[in-house]
Amino acid sequence: MKIQRHGAVLGLVAASSLLLGACGSDNNTGAGGSTSSATAASVPVDCGGKAKLNAEGSSAQKNAVDAFIQAYKAKCSNGDLAYNPTGSGAGVKQFNAGQVDFGGSDSALKAPAEVEAAAKRCQSNPAWHLPLVFGPVAIGYKLSGVDGLVLNGEVAAKIFNGGIKKWNDPAIKALNSSANLPDKDIAVVYRSDESGTTDNFQKYLKTASKGAWTQGDGKQFKGGVGEGKEKSAGVAQAASTVDGAVTYVELSFAQDNKLSIAKIDTGSGPVELTNETVGKSIDGAKIKGQGNDLVLDLDSIYGTTTAGAYPLLLATYEIVCSKGYDADTAKAVKAFLTVAATDGQAQLADAGYAPLPKAFQDKLLTAIKAIA
Amino acid sequence: MSTGLADPSRLATPPTFQSVSTGRKIKNGLATVLVWLAFAVAVVPLVWVLYTVVARGFPSIVDADWWQKSLSGLLGRQQGGGAYHAIVGTLLQGLVCGVISVPIGIFVGIYLVEYGGRSKLARTTTFMVDILTGVPSIVAALFIYALWVTTLGFSRSGFAVALALVLLMIPVIIRTTEEMLKIVPDELREASYALGIPKWKTIMKIVIPTALSGILTGIMLALARVMGETAPVLVLVGYAAYINFNLFDGPMASLPLLMNVERNNPTQAGYDRLWGAAITLVLIITLFNLLATVVSRWLAPKTK
Repeated sequence: MKIQRHGAVLGLVAASSLLLGACGSDNNTGAGGSTSSATAASVPVDCGGKAKLNAEGSSAQKNAVDAFIQAYKAKCSNGDLAYNPTGSGAGVKQFNAGQVDFGGSDSALKAPAEVEAAAKRCQSNPAWHLPLVFGPVAIGYKLSGVDGLVLNGEVAAKIFNGGIKKWNDPAIKALNSSANLPDKDIAVVYRSDESGTTDNFQKYLKTASKGAWTQGDGKQFKGGVGEGKEKSAGVAQAASTVDGAVTYVELSFAQDNKLSIAKIDTGSGPVELTNETVGKSIDGAKIKGQGNDLVLDLDSIYGTTTAGAYPLLLATYEIVCSKGYDADTAKAVKAFLTVAATDGQAQLADAGYAPLPKAFQDKLLTAIKAIA
Repeated sequence: MSTGLADPSRLATPPTFQSVSTGRKIKNGLATVLVWLAFAVAVVPLVWVLYTVVARGFPSIVDADWWQKSLSGLLGRQQGGGAYHAIVGTLLQGLVCGVISVPIGIFVGIYLVEYGGRSKLARTTTFMVDILTGVPSIVAALFIYALWVTTLGFSRSGFAVALALVLLMIPVIIRTTEEMLKIVPDELREASYALGIPKWKTIMKIVIPTALSGILTGIMLALARVMGETAPVLVLVGYAAYINFNLFDGPMASLPLLMNVERNNPTQAGYDRLWGAAITLVLIITLFNLLATVVSRWLAPKTK
């Protein structure tokens, strides 16, 4: 008797879970997913293949990938992709272990260990780096009465390593002759957690500071001054509450927290951070990798002296197999990346990233097409 | 002061009730205050947590979409979507974990109480269960990762999570089963034997039904506990914003995982989803606890 009752309870649970199983939906198109078709080049996308792709890696490109997924779902109704923003290191590890279809990373694979592991994962074919997402990093500051502050690599390095302590320092004055700089302490705010933004910022300082930055690079801030805050949101928020604060943070966070954004003088005049200036510097980037392996020579971006090119960017790669996917996966990966490089770009500016310039987009599309 | 040394003429027959001395009043008051304080210390955080979760999460879960849709194809800052994918994942992983660990746990419990006695095997088992009880969930997760993913070469999946949860759930079930079987009076067993009933039948028909309500409560509580585990889902499965019913392949969301992902989403939408997922998890676990209470009442031995 009692056993039967027990069975009835289990049956009830099973029935209710089945009921729950019957009415779920992945369709969220009504919720403002307006992928405008404002892209210049409408490239035909060969939808199909594996329905649900799986990717993992850099959290810096998470919002961009979200936008790509939205565009991908709009274009290929059956396609979908899961992106786990667990960090570049985890992304590379999971890609090399064959757990995900492609990885996202702030930095290129390290030779020889990671490169070899990736080649093994791709059935003895090389893995390619596709720099699909560029995030401009702003030097954001809050200083009442001062707009359009101009810095260069050297001065920025000195500010962030404590060489310059006051806003009216002669070195800053030299770059901002017309500005009325107050006699105020500079309050540096940095990222206390490990971050690709910090890594890229320090690499920039190393390249562009003419030797003023001696602290090296890495994911931890090494300047030794200021106050540390967690995550981009924390950093931007902290900087926005202190008059005299300065920090480095992804553009969208600087904008959201109403920080002023410094122009950077690369040697040919002050450059404001805009989509155009960032695009110009992406266009000018040299490729270190061979053929379709688009590893960027970051020094060519950070050290740019081209007029109107904004040098401080975070480039993130999608790491894919050149060959070695099964046919279904290859088809879906190609479709997703194609959408990402074309339709997906439309929403990037809103999310704080820089859309790809045309010439660079073509390079990427050639590489994506060559994936087999 | 008023009473302690009363009128000497009435010493012979002191009144039954003397009024309480000030010192004792103060001690009484102090003790009362301390007890209430201790009570408040215990209850205030609980109420506070509940209030916070409900106040922040409630707006999310009253939307019908929350229970019917996934977050597939939504940007981090876009409102909308739901936690269906995560609810499905949590329930499926919990269910599979339960299906595996309940029989094992109950049988081990029966062995320990009814057959093992003081034998070497029983003592070793008890010792191992003790150790397993103390294993942190992250260690269980890493063990399964090493075994299932690295050594056996399977991909990360919801099933791997269920396996890690099994490691956490089995010792709890063994323990409750053991305790419940121990409190079944020996007289019942002896009466059964006296009627010539074999041991296995005695266990099946007498011992288990008597202890069933307690065992079931234990199972439900253990299930509720493992469904809130975070470490295994972080290590053993990827997050997917879409609905995945396949336990053996591909990323699969669950409520703790959803919360972990949305914690890094600084927008209002992320905040809403984070707290919405929190209250959903609390609700599901409450539901299981209620179910446990109801079932155990229902199945409790009827004593007239």
